[in-house]
Amino acid sequence: MSFLDDMIDKVSEEGNRHGDDVSPQGHERLDAILSEMLDDCGDLSGAMVSASDGRALAQRLQSGLDKHRFAAMSSALLALSDNVIRETHGGEIKNVLIQSDDGNVFILHAGSGLLLTVFSRPDANLGMSLAHANKGATDIAALNLHPDGQRETA
Amino acid sequence: MFQATDKIIFTGPVGAGKTSAIGAISDEPPVRTDVATTGSERDIKDTTTVAMDYSYISLEDGKRIHLYGTPGQERFDFMWQILTQGGLGLVLLVNNDHPDPVGQMEYYLDAFADFIRDTGVVIGITRMGVRDNASIMDYQARLFEREQVFPVFEVDGRSSEDVRILVNALLAVLEN
Repeated sequence: MSFLDDMIDKVSEEGNRHGDDVSPQGHERLDAILSEMLDDCGDLSGAMVSASDGRALAQRLQSGLDKHRFAAMSSALLALSDNVIRETHGGEIKNVLIQSDDGNVFILHAGSGLLLTVFSRPDANLGMSLAHANKGATDIAALNLHPDGQRETA
Repeated sequence: MFQATDKIIFTGPVGAGKTSAIGAISDEPPVRTDVATTGSERDIKDTTTVAMDYSYISLEDGKRIHLYGTPGQERFDFMWQILTQGGLGLVLLVNNDHPDPVGQMEYYLDAFADFIRDTGVVIGITRMGVRDNASIMDYQARLFEREQVFPVFEVDGRSSEDVRILVNALLAVLEN
C-alpha cells in the first residue's frame, strides 16, 4: 500500500521508522548490534534488520541500495526457503546463502518476526562471515522486539 | 510435468483474498509464504504473503493449470515481474471494502499493463456486501472511461464456485 507507506514516512521521524512497532530504543539497539557486527568482521560490507513481512527496521548499507526493496526481497527469499526445507527435510532453516563472484548475501531468522540480511565481500571467509552473522542474529533475537506482535506465553 | 505456459496469476491489493481464492480451488494444499504482518498493516489483517502462493487445478479435460498468487504490497513488485513471466493471464481481485476500490483496480491494471496487453485479465470484486461502497457499474464505468473492456464479477474469494467462474472466464477471454 504505497499511499500508506508514504503517509507513514511523512509523519515518522527521519522518514525511516516506517510505521513499525519497534520503539526508538529498540531501533538504537538494532543500530548498535549492526555497527558492532560490521566493526568486528572486516569481511562484512553491510547489514540490515527487517520485519518478516518485508519492512526495513535498521540498516548499514552501501549507498545506492534501496532498503525497502532489499527488505522485501529478503523476506520473500527466506519465506520460500523455509518452505523448501519444511517440505524436503522437515526442519527449520538456519540461513540462506547466496554466492556470487562480486559478493555474498546471508539471510537469517533473528527472533520472532525479524530477519537479518548480511552482505559480505567477494573474497570473504564464508565461515567467519556466517559466525558473525549468527552472533548478530542471536543478539537481535535477545532484544525480544516482536514487531509481529507475537510474544511467547510465559 | 511442469509447463510454465499453463499458469495464471492472481494479484490485487492487500486483503483482496488472493491466498483464500487459490486455496478455495486448489487440488492440493497450496504452497504459502504468509508471515505475520507488522506496523500499520496489522490493522488490515494478521498475515500477508511475502513471496507467492502456488497451487494447481485440473480442468475437466485433464489439463493442469498452475496458479500463482502475488504479494499485494508495492514493495514486493519484483515478485510481480518474476511470477508473470510466461503466464497465460491475470485474475485481478479487488477488495471493495476500501476507501477507493476503483482506484485500486486502476493501480493494478496499470502496474500489470504490459502483461495484460500480451495476455488478458478478469476482475473479481470481493467483499461487496461489507459496506455501501462502489457497485459493479462503478468499476465498469471507470473501465469504459479508460477505453478498456474486461469482465468484472462480484465474487466471494473463499467460494470454490466463484473462483472457478473467474478462472473459466479468463480462459474464455484468452481463447478469443
